[in-house]
Amino acid sequence: MLLVHPVRILGSFAVPILLATFGLSSGGDGGPPAWIFLLGGAAIAVAFGVASWFVTRYRFTEEQVQLRTGLVNRRVLTAPLDRVRSVDVESSPVHRLLGLAKVKVGTGVDDSRIELDGVSREQAGELRTFLLARSRQAGGAAGPGAAPDGATVPAVAGPDADGGRTSYPGVVPAQPDTELARIDWGWLRYAPFSLSSLVVVAGAVGALLQFGDELPVDQVDVAQDAWRWVVAQAVLVLVTMLVVVIVVGWVVVSTVSYVLTWWNLRVVREGRGNLRITRGLLTTHSQTVERAKVRGARMGEPFLLRLVRGAELTALATGVGAGGATKVLPPAPRAVVTSVGHELLEEDGPLTMQLVGHGPRARRRIHVRRQWGTLFLAAALAVPTYLLDVPFLDRLPDWGPPVLLLVVGALNALVAESAWRNLGHGLTRRHVVVQTGAFVRTREALERAGIIGWVVHQSFFQRRLDLCDLVATTAAGAEQVVAPNIPVPLAVDLARGATPGMLEGFLA
Amino acid sequence: MSPQGMPSARLREPAHRVSPRAVRYWVVNSTIGGVVAWAVMFAIAWFLPEQAWWAVALRWLFVLGMAANVVEVVLEPTIRYRRTRWEVADGKVFVQTGWLSRDQRIAPLSRVQTVDTHRGAIMRLYGLANITVTTASAAGPITIPCLDSDLADRVTAELARITGQTRGDAT
Repeated sequence: MLLVHPVRILGSFAVPILLATFGLSSGGDGGPPAWIFLLGGAAIAVAFGVASWFVTRYRFTEEQVQLRTGLVNRRVLTAPLDRVRSVDVESSPVHRLLGLAKVKVGTGVDDSRIELDGVSREQAGELRTFLLARSRQAGGAAGPGAAPDGATVPAVAGPDADGGRTSYPGVVPAQPDTELARIDWGWLRYAPFSLSSLVVVAGAVGALLQFGDELPVDQVDVAQDAWRWVVAQAVLVLVTMLVVVIVVGWVVVSTVSYVLTWWNLRVVREGRGNLRITRGLLTTHSQTVERAKVRGARMGEPFLLRLVRGAELTALATGVGAGGATKVLPPAPRAVVTSVGHELLEEDGPLTMQLVGHGPRARRRIHVRRQWGTLFLAAALAVPTYLLDVPFLDRLPDWGPPVLLLVVGALNALVAESAWRNLGHGLTRRHVVVQTGAFVRTREALERAGIIGWVVHQSFFQRRLDLCDLVATTAAGAEQVVAPNIPVPLAVDLARGATPGMLEGFLA
Repeated sequence: MSPQGMPSARLREPAHRVSPRAVRYWVVNSTIGGVVAWAVMFAIAWFLPEQAWWAVALRWLFVLGMAANVVEVVLEPTIRYRRTRWEVADGKVFVQTGWLSRDQRIAPLSRVQTVDTHRGAIMRLYGLANITVTTASAAGPITIPCLDSDLADRVTAELARITGQTRGDAT
């Protein structure tokens, strides 16, 4: 901790310090030499880090976990232990070098997480067991053994912590764990088909294009006839090379990021039923979600991944922050995803079952809705072209706008058809299942007991077609599951079947 | 797909209308907004160049916007009044809102976290109040708009009483 903080603060101060250093030292002679600024900055960072170590304390009482931080702005975060819903242990490379970890305690509705930074790795593991065991006890009947008195743990695992394990009150001995999944490096072949690392590559390509202006492509017009052919070939070669570079770069980047993120993945159902996910090469993550807080699962099949029969799996839980979704499996074979998903849901079927489609009126609606975009484009092209005198549109060829419209219209029709084909819903003994999406097919299974309300939304046009968007509200995941463009009678049936009694009395 | 023994049905409308004074409140509210919007648009249009094509397009957009403002004042409040309904029955809140679109929301009071009453300045002139009921889901808040102020107090007290009877974290 004493080391982690200054290092991290130094990291976040690095840019300003360097800027200041270069800015001041290049300002002219006579000023103090650059290294003074560097040293000064580093000293300040270290001072800040050490100070924050001195003023950070956490402790556990019978009912609460408390974290005090801040020297000037004092802050005390308190959370009742029975509100603890998830415990994540994270170690960055710096942490791991020093044998430390960061523990994040997720506490429910308001998404404020308590971070205990710089505890020793063993202590982190014990804390996790303790917190989740306590939250379970507090939630249920009184635990075995006497009520513990407040145990205070200093926020440091220094040499003075004498290596002795702090014993936490009321920890139930663990039963053996069952492993649900483990990384299989054969899955690596799915990495390039997932778009999750697209952002990185897009950035790289963007940077490359900065240099594109330097290439002599513009000079094709000026070239002599004899040269023209040669230059044209050169452009072709250049474009081919660029495509190859992008594809190869894509494969490399996506594979590397897959390995970094999912190294050593293990999904474990702990003895008490909690779910634990450990993964990561440089920064290791260990996430534990209490069984009762897992409310469902989401299976995502992006377009490319669908081509090779792969899928991703996410758990929907309450109080885990970041949209309430915890990634469970990387892009992996669909069969693996469905079987692990079913283990997670503790029910067979939701991820493989045949779903009920939303019918011809939904299809019409989706198609019409999609073509609105085409219509807007048509208007945007037609109005300036025929009614107004816009200078730069004169240069377009006459056949340009109609062809563009045709292409866009056809693409929209394809997307709409795909969206309609993917659309569907279903109901099992324990879950409501909804599948949506055109490019990314997403199937969400939400535990029926986790539904805390319904919204039936009908836009003006949906009312004409007797369709609606049925929204199941929940505290888990994105806090809602939407079945779009579902015929009203089907929607009412689904809602009544999923939550018996919630709609009774309001039916016509 | 229909669960056994249950014929397909549809939702009816909730039983109660909101306060009739809501219409006047909505008219006043839309008028204020409309006047401000007209003023801004006239002011901008005044400074637009005469001939530029984008200025012409923008003027047409303004005309559409002004027409929409008129609709908001003349048509929307009465339609909205007819379509806005609410009901608290059997431990559940059921509210319907919207004038062109329609939103029907249902939440059991056992899952309700908070009950708020809100009175804006103009609403107070007309003796109106909104009641908002929130659940543990960000997608789930239910607002009963423009109730008679006294009624709103009674409903809020009743909702809070029923909500307080359930234990657990309501997720």
